[in-house]
Amino acid sequence: MTATLHYRTALLLRSFRWLPPLLLHLAVMAIGLAAGPRPLLDSLGWSAAALLPAAAWLVRVSVTAEPPAARACVAAATGPGRAHTAGVLAALLCSVVLGAVSTAVVVAVADPHTTDHLKAVPVVPAAAAGLLAALVTALLGTAVGALTNPPVLLRPGWAVPVTALTAVLVLVAAGSPANAAVTGLVTGSRTGVVPFPPAPLLLAAFAACGATWLAATLSGRRG
Amino acid sequence: MRLEAVGRRYGARGPWVLRGVDLDVPGGQVLRVEGANGSGKSTVLRILAGIDRPTTGRVSGRPRTAYVPERFPPALPFDAHGYLVHLGRVHGLGGRTAARRAERWLECFGIAGYARTPLAQLSKGTCQKVAVAQALVAEPELLVLDEAWTGLDEDARAVLDDAVRARSAAGGTVVFVDHDPRRLAADTTAAHRVQDARLVPVPPDAAGGPRVVIEATGGGVPPAGLAYEPAAPGTLQVTVPAAESDAVLRRLLAAAPPWHIRSVRPAQPPTEPA
Repeated sequence: MTATLHYRTALLLRSFRWLPPLLLHLAVMAIGLAAGPRPLLDSLGWSAAALLPAAAWLVRVSVTAEPPAARACVAAATGPGRAHTAGVLAALLCSVVLGAVSTAVVVAVADPHTTDHLKAVPVVPAAAAGLLAALVTALLGTAVGALTNPPVLLRPGWAVPVTALTAVLVLVAAGSPANAAVTGLVTGSRTGVVPFPPAPLLLAAFAACGATWLAATLSGRRG
Repeated sequence: MRLEAVGRRYGARGPWVLRGVDLDVPGGQVLRVEGANGSGKSTVLRILAGIDRPTTGRVSGRPRTAYVPERFPPALPFDAHGYLVHLGRVHGLGGRTAARRAERWLECFGIAGYARTPLAQLSKGTCQKVAVAQALVAEPELLVLDEAWTGLDEDARAVLDDAVRARSAAGGTVVFVDHDPRRLAADTTAAHRVQDARLVPVPPDAAGGPRVVIEATGGGVPPAGLAYEPAAPGTLQVTVPAAESDAVLRRLLAAAPPWHIRSVRPAQPPTEPA
């Protein structure tokens, strides 16, 4: 599995197909942070939210990176399920790195105060909370990507709009772990209390595992 | 390896491409799969290789497997050597072993000079050689070749033929599809035809032709799947179609410990009823 993951990660990175999702993430970040230094926790919430659609797109890019013949060679060696799981994990790894870098940039440029600029926000706990929220949205974005792309949705005409729509829904729906993580940071920015809710992370990890398992089970059976 | 009542269809309401396929594939066998275009040959191979999972039935006892597709598009962001090392490691080899074997096979196919060339810049034939090398690097117990010879030059075809014999001599199984009916004719131990979604055994061409008797001595276990008659202790006698004698001899000599061939002689034709 390590070798397969290594291969899939090299494939994803060397193909440069991660560039469009990265540009999407940068564009959304720029919209949120361009108007001068904004409150730290608020910005971390925005950055985490921006990661979710990028993470979903990265899964699409990763699982469709191989021509079918090359995919067959790897599937014969490892089984189609493991080959697919490695593709999803490679995308998740990239999303987590992207989330960590975004969090670091936000911590470096944002204003470590509450929204009303009255109370100081401790930077290190805030950075940790930002990383936690980024991890939640990376996991959920990966879950969305795994469920809305091959081998679950085969036609690009369906897969792409459904991926985009689901990513937005998962961000705004009340009760979604991504929504809880982002809202926690935005609320924290008003109150000055840095949030560390464990439930969204657990739920997001559970969703990512379940979605990847389902996609892996279907690969080799559909199409 | 064994297929039991295997069926496959694409889509919930698609037609059955395969139905009720039962097949035993013992080690050391070189199995040819035939059939008209679109009959489901590739599906049989994909199920044997584990790339496709059957819709119904089950596949058990699949050993370490490698697969070679007919056309290998070069749309991968690696050079030839890098790709082979990656695939070798995916097959479970260590990094050094993978690199060593990758170099050896690139050399065997005469493309060592292209080791550092990106796949995207290679010709179709060279790419196909890389695809074949990818499977041979793994030294798999089951080698599945879906028209792997297509696009290879004469020399490379011979290299692949030899590699198939080596895999089979080492006790591995080879399953192949090829347009050329003479492909590996002397080494093929069984053939099946895909017809109306079923797998039908093809009787060997040589069944009615001349047969030879091979007598060998040795202390080891006779190669699996060989129909032999034990003669004196430590000796065995096999009667095979003349076309298959080379393959049988090769397997006897390659067994561990090897068998000593005492004689090869034409079999007496069956006596006509008076």
